[in-house]
Amino acid sequence: MSLHLQSDISISRRGQFRRRDFLRLVTAGAAAGGLVSWQDVMAESAPLLRKQGMACILLWMQGGPSQFDTFSPKPGHANGGETKAIATAAKGVEISENLPRTAKVMDKVALIRSMNSKEGAHPRASFLMHTGYLPTATVKYPTLGSIVAHEIGDHEFDLPSFVRIGQRGPGQSDTAGLLGVNFDPFAMQAQDVGRMPQNTTLTTTDPRYLRRLGLLKDLEGDYAASGGKAEVADHAKVYAKAASMVRSPKMSGFDLSKEPQKMQDLYGNTPFGKSCLLARRLVETGVTFVEVALGNWDTHQDNGERTKDLCGQLDQPYAALLTDLAERGMLDKTLVIWTGEFGRTPRINPRAGRDHYPRAFNMTLAGGGVKGGQVIGKTDSGGDSVTDRPVGISDLFQTICHSLKIDAQKENMSSIGRPIKIVDGGEVVKEVFA
Amino acid sequence: MFHRLLHLPIVLTGLLGFTASAAAAELSNPLEVAAKVDASLLAELSTSAANPMQRIGDEEFLRRAYLDIIGHIPSPEEVTAFVLDPAKDKRAKTVEKLLADERFGENWGRYYRDVIMYRKTEDRAEIVSGQLEDYLKTQFNTSASWAKIATDIVTATGDGTENGACALIIAQQGQPEEVVSEVSRIFLGVQIQCAQCHDHPTDRWKREQFHELAAFFPRTASQLILTPDRREIKVVSQDFFLNRQPPMGNMRRRGTAEHYMSDLKNPTDKGKLMEPVFFATGDKLPLGTKDADRRGTLAKWITEQDNPYFAKAFVNRLWSELNGEGFYEPVDDIGPDRDCTAPKTVEYLAQEFGKTNYDIKWLFRAITATSLYNAPSAPRRNPDQTPMQTNVAQRLRGDQLFDNLLNALGVSEPQPPGGAGAMGALYGRRFSPRGNFNTVFGYDPSERRDEVAGSIPQALVFMNGANVNAGIRANGRTALAKTMSEIKDDQSLVGEIYLRVLAREPSSNEMKTSLAYIKKVGNRNEAFEDLQWSLINSTEFLHRK
Repeated sequence: MSLHLQSDISISRRGQFRRRDFLRLVTAGAAAGGLVSWQDVMAESAPLLRKQGMACILLWMQGGPSQFDTFSPKPGHANGGETKAIATAAKGVEISENLPRTAKVMDKVALIRSMNSKEGAHPRASFLMHTGYLPTATVKYPTLGSIVAHEIGDHEFDLPSFVRIGQRGPGQSDTAGLLGVNFDPFAMQAQDVGRMPQNTTLTTTDPRYLRRLGLLKDLEGDYAASGGKAEVADHAKVYAKAASMVRSPKMSGFDLSKEPQKMQDLYGNTPFGKSCLLARRLVETGVTFVEVALGNWDTHQDNGERTKDLCGQLDQPYAALLTDLAERGMLDKTLVIWTGEFGRTPRINPRAGRDHYPRAFNMTLAGGGVKGGQVIGKTDSGGDSVTDRPVGISDLFQTICHSLKIDAQKENMSSIGRPIKIVDGGEVVKEVFA
Repeated sequence: MFHRLLHLPIVLTGLLGFTASAAAAELSNPLEVAAKVDASLLAELSTSAANPMQRIGDEEFLRRAYLDIIGHIPSPEEVTAFVLDPAKDKRAKTVEKLLADERFGENWGRYYRDVIMYRKTEDRAEIVSGQLEDYLKTQFNTSASWAKIATDIVTATGDGTENGACALIIAQQGQPEEVVSEVSRIFLGVQIQCAQCHDHPTDRWKREQFHELAAFFPRTASQLILTPDRREIKVVSQDFFLNRQPPMGNMRRRGTAEHYMSDLKNPTDKGKLMEPVFFATGDKLPLGTKDADRRGTLAKWITEQDNPYFAKAFVNRLWSELNGEGFYEPVDDIGPDRDCTAPKTVEYLAQEFGKTNYDIKWLFRAITATSLYNAPSAPRRNPDQTPMQTNVAQRLRGDQLFDNLLNALGVSEPQPPGGAGAMGALYGRRFSPRGNFNTVFGYDPSERRDEVAGSIPQALVFMNGANVNAGIRANGRTALAKTMSEIKDDQSLVGEIYLRVLAREPSSNEMKTSLAYIKKVGNRNEAFEDLQWSLINSTEFLHRK
């Protein structure tokens, strides 16, 4: 009976089930008898395997990197500053001299130089770039990692499907939102990279740990009997999942010491290098989405010097990640996104800085079926505005969904029952793909 | 029977008006109102009178009331004293005592902080979250009326780090559409923002009405300047306008003279000029009205007795929090086209609440005296079952759980590490141990409570968290070590631990299981550590039953 019920639920048009829908479908007796719990339905309604093995790594450049000093140098123009352009492995594509190693892997990268939006404030622009929507008070739009974990993650996997490395800022509001806490990012502090994440190490011996869980189970009976049956069942499911996670051999996916020294050297002994290596290791272990943040791109002062330094932190790990994924045969099924929330002003300000500029900026895509070695879109000679093939945020989200084989038209329900499309509007940038 | 009951209170207050001289005495007696609410519910929900509502025991009542009113569980001493107290009115007296406790304002200040801040569209508004909490705490503790709080928040100006009432506007970046959506949702329970882009298919609100509401706020803006040498986050009010270049993108640092409704077919057009009209009553202001008058008048109209939504929205929310099921669900969606489980009852209670001039503590007294509040809790009902036959258990909010954990471990609140930098100080509360805990355990209190789910990171904190596991040790300077050295008898010790962690004595079953476990383990220290660990990790610990 319960199997029938669950298949009923999983063909629902909305694709997402609320507890009240669930209760509507389950007879009072079945629910009260604890035959099926909410967590059961959550698990059953999910695809059983990471869909077609696709995964995604988002390299989030917090603060908004200068396009002029990363992938879109303008050495002949006053707006270009002192940054020179260098040739790359992609014929005819030049990028900033700040990224020499990246230049050698540009044959794997599709570079979009015509990104544009209207949002020039960090929080709104970050939210937009993570969710495809502007923040509103009433609908909590899910962040990309949660969407991907929800759509193509393996829900029976021991580890979380979405790991976020490095906290971006206080009160950061892009979470799983309307998709629910099961799809929230599993957050790791940057300083914990290389170590086990917080609270995942047993504080007792394993036998004692199991003994404690046994006592907990035995003591739950009275609470369950006095009207708490459903809560106790849900609680037990969450604890079982948490316990199987911390005791899983897959937790070694977090352990960088398992990587040969040569591999650690390839990525470099820096926080961002280690984070990128961890991202690859986690994807290899079966995690669907890893977001890694590299901060401080908000260069209102001394843009040239600071961006050069930041590119120094980015260059080796980014090139290593693409090379390593390709050598392991994982790149075809792993989309690597490099972007910030916006770009920076064409004109250099009196403090040698560049300010926020959403009107024309750049980002890159690699892997996941993306055709490398190409540039999409153009700006005018001074980089003030897009002159060819403008790409909006919705277009980018459509393109990401296409790569990951996610149906961008699918609707999820907001808490007040409003259907929300995964992506609203926009079109796939077809040239991105071969 | 029902109609007679409904008329009674009006007569009653009329009589009191003649006899009592002090204004306070004119309030309806909350206990009498509670009795009428009981009768009204019974009439409306037409359940079998032969099956009267059961009444929970004293221990269960006490934990419920403590968690609901002050956000903490009672201490073992308070439980014992209450259970042994023979007084007939001890429940009402306890409610009174708790409403006078500092922690009442703290608990509800944090609650409404979450109501406002979980919907923020400006992440950096987090900076004023602590100030908002302090402001609300003071209001609740000094018995400010709900009308005063609403007025403060709607009319707020100035520096958000000094005036916490600015937080709602700051949280929405002063964007008129977002601000009025929140004002309407929180104070009126009307989700009028659905009409922002189009006339709502299942609601009566027109797109124009939404933008007429937004027209109360065009001259208000939120200015957020965070540079190394300048930190301001303030609500500004402006009535003089020069022709300025519009700011780039959607940044909005200053107001505009009037509000325009955008033309959806032609987004670059300036749109249609909107007059400020309050949809609930139809009252309107002329174009050109000054900011202070716009918002001051709106606050007055919102809080007036003839606005049908203001009192009802608060009653519905508080009822839902205390009884686990709202008349309307979700709590902030009570518009005229919404289903209501007991319309006459909520109407009556809202009217009585209005007559008290929105006295918050009065409403606590009334609701906690209802039969439903004193009924046992059961799981969330199925949609086809009769509403409001039992109280419903609810997952505790982050702050309540954090305090519960501190209580259970017998430790005082850890403070954030000192010497934080300027940004650290700004976001101090966010990164305090409590703030970090809330990041993992907190939830938006306006969400349907039955859809708030537990998460793996939460389980990991309780299962493996270093602080939890250090706190439950049987040796060293922990509360457990102290209790273990004082109480040598295992049975009494089990009882004591249950009281401290769950504020109740163990059942005979639980006692048997615990004692058998202690015997099986054969190591007293380990066994009691495990027992305390299990109770802290239990479902009951996470819930208000």
